[in-house]
Amino acid sequence: MPLGPPSSAIFLQNVAPGFTSTPGRTPTSVTVHPVALFSILDHYLRRNDAQDRVIGTLLGTRSENGEVEVRSAFAVLHSETAEQVAVDMEYHRTMYDLHHKVNPKEVIVGWYSTGSNLNTYSALIQNFYTQETAPHQAIHLAINTGVEEGQQAGVKAYVGSPVGVNPKPENCVFVPIPCELRFNDAERSGLDLLTSAPANPGSATFTNPASDLELLERSLQQLSDMLDRVLSYVQSVLAGEVKGDAAVGRYLMDALGPSTEDLEKGEFNSHLQDTLMVSYLANLVRSQAEVSSRLALVKAS
Amino acid sequence: MAATSMAAALAASLPAPQAAPTPSAPTYEAIPASMAKVIDIEAEIPITSVQLDAMVVSKIIKHAKEAPGSSAHGLLLGLDLDGTLEVSNSFPLPHHSNDEDDKSLKSVARYQGAMLRSLKEVQADDSVIGFYQGMTLGSFFNQTLVDTQAIHQEKLRHGGIVIVHDISQTARGNASFRAFRLTRAFLDAYKKSNFSSTSLIDHRLTFSTILEEVPLKIRTNALVSSFLSTLSEAAVPPAAATNPALATSSAAIPPSYSTLNLGLANTPRNLELIVEALDNYKTEEGNLAYLHRQIAREKAKADAYVAKRKEENASRVAAGLAPLPEEDVNRLFKIPPEPSRLESLLLLGRIDAYGKSLEETASTGLVKMYAAKGNTGN
Repeated sequence: MPLGPPSSAIFLQNVAPGFTSTPGRTPTSVTVHPVALFSILDHYLRRNDAQDRVIGTLLGTRSENGEVEVRSAFAVLHSETAEQVAVDMEYHRTMYDLHHKVNPKEVIVGWYSTGSNLNTYSALIQNFYTQETAPHQAIHLAINTGVEEGQQAGVKAYVGSPVGVNPKPENCVFVPIPCELRFNDAERSGLDLLTSAPANPGSATFTNPASDLELLERSLQQLSDMLDRVLSYVQSVLAGEVKGDAAVGRYLMDALGPSTEDLEKGEFNSHLQDTLMVSYLANLVRSQAEVSSRLALVKAS
Repeated sequence: MAATSMAAALAASLPAPQAAPTPSAPTYEAIPASMAKVIDIEAEIPITSVQLDAMVVSKIIKHAKEAPGSSAHGLLLGLDLDGTLEVSNSFPLPHHSNDEDDKSLKSVARYQGAMLRSLKEVQADDSVIGFYQGMTLGSFFNQTLVDTQAIHQEKLRHGGIVIVHDISQTARGNASFRAFRLTRAFLDAYKKSNFSSTSLIDHRLTFSTILEEVPLKIRTNALVSSFLSTLSEAAVPPAAATNPALATSSAAIPPSYSTLNLGLANTPRNLELIVEALDNYKTEEGNLAYLHRQIAREKAKADAYVAKRKEENASRVAAGLAPLPEEDVNRLFKIPPEPSRLESLLLLGRIDAYGKSLEETASTGLVKMYAAKGNTGN
C-alpha cells in the first residue's frame, strides 16, 4: 500500500549479498503503522502558530533484512529560526524512557517532520538522530499534510548519506527509500471504523461503533453491489455490446464455478447444528445468570 | 489496589480550579451566558456522551494488541465540553505484575506525572478524565476495574469514565469500544463497603446495574479524515464506467471482507471461560451458604441463651429472688458479619458478558451459514 502520489522514482539501494547482519547497514524499506501517522498529524494540529513545521521521534523495530517498522511516534520540542535550530534533547530522552517502560521492544529508529522541504537544519537534525540510533542509521520521514495548495498528502522516507569532499554534519544527501503503510487485523478493523462514516469533507466526521450483525450486513451489501456490477458486465458481454476480456472471464469462472452441492453431506450440517446449539446455550446461560441475580434480591421472609 | 498513592497522584494531576475570566482588573466578572456552556467551572453540566479521537482509537488498539494477556490499561486525557467528554489523547501504563508492592505503585505514579508534564509541553491536553482497559471476550467485570473506577469517580471532575475495548472482537473485524461509569446506587453501596443481602436489596443491585453505559462517538478531525480518504479512495480511471473490466482498485487501504469468513474462531475459548466462571460462581455460592449457615447457628445459640435467661428470670421472680442480669448477648456469642456478595455479583456479570459475546458470534455464524447454504438454491 503506497503512501503518497505515485512517482517514477527508482530506489537505488546497496543490496550486496551477504550483507545481512552487519550493523550500520542502510535500511532498505520502511513500513509505518497507522498509530504513528495519527500521532504525527495530531501533533501537527496542536503546534504553535509560530512554528511552520514540527518534528518528533520515531520508535519501532528493525528486522534483519533491513526493513524498519515504525510503530509509534512522539513529539519533541524544537525551535527553528533563521540562524539556528534547537532540539530539546532532555525532553526527547525523558519521553523515550517513559515509552520504553511500557514497550521494551521499541527503539529509536529515526525522526519525522511535517513539511517536505529538506534543508540544512534537516541535515543537522539527521546527524543528531544518527548519533542516537548508532550503530544503525536513522531514517527520516517527511510527512506532507496536504494542507497547502498544490501539494498532495503523502509520506516519504529518506536515509541520509554524507556528501562532499569533506563530510560535514550539515551536508548530507537524503536518499529516498520505499515506504508503505502496514496494519494487522486489529488495526484494520480500527481503520474500518474510522473510515466507514459517510465522509463529510470539511468537517469532523462522527461514527458510531456498530454491532457484529450490522457490520455483516454492510459487507453483505457491498458484496451484493459487486455481484450486480459483475452481472451487468457479463450480460453486456453476452449481448455483444462489450468485447469480453478473456482473462476476466476465466477469473470469473474460477471464482464462481465451484458449487456448494456437496456441502449437504459431510460436516456442513453438523456444523450448522453445533452453531444452533451454541446459540441456545448462550441464551440459556444468560437467562440463568439473570434469574440468579434476581433471586439474591429476594429476602427470605 | 491501594488507594493512597494513586489518589495522591491523581490529586496532583488534577486541573487547578480556574479563576473566573478577568480582563486586566482583578474584579470578578460574571461569565456571559453565551460562554456559560464552555467555561464550566463547577462541573455542573452532566456528561451525556463520550467522544473519542481517532488517534486514541488506534493507540488503544495497538497497546491492547501488544500487551501480554489482557492486561492492557492506561489513562485517558481530554476535556469535557458542554456535556460531552472529549478524549483527545491517551497513554499506556506500564504493567506491574505485583499489585501489592508499594514501590511499583509509586513508580506508576511517577510515570504518570512525568508523562503528563511532558505532554503539557507540547500543548497536548493534560487532564486525566478516565482510564481504558483491554479485555477479551467480554470479561471486564473484575475487582480492580471497580476499585479504580470508584477512585476516579470520586476524585475527578465529572467522575471518570472507563473505556473498555474488546480485543477478540476487534480481531474478528469489529472494533468495539464502550464507555461506562458506575451507577449512583453502586457507588453508595461501595462507599459503605456493605454488600450484604439487605444492602443489595435496598439498592436493587444486580450485575447489570453496577455499570451504566454512556453513548460513545468517534471523531476524526478534518486533517486525518482527508489524509485517510486520500489513501483509501480507489483511483478509478474514467473508462471504467463503460467497461468495468478496466477498473482496478489501487487504494492504499482496500476494503476487507474478513467478516464474511465462515467458522467460529473463538467459540471453544469462550465456552471454556464460561465453564470456568460458572465453577468459580459455584464455589463462591458454596462459601456464602456456609457463612450463612454459621451465622444462623450462632444466632440460634444466642436466641436460645436469651430465652433461657428469660425463663430463669421469670421463675426467679415467681420464687421471689432477684432476677439475674441479662448479659449482653453479643459479648458471649460472636456473630460473624454478613458476607459481602460483591464477588458473586461480579462473577455473574462476567458470566453474562461471556454469554452475550458467545451469542453474537453464534448469530453471525448462523446468518453466514444459511447464506452459504442458500447458494445451492434450497
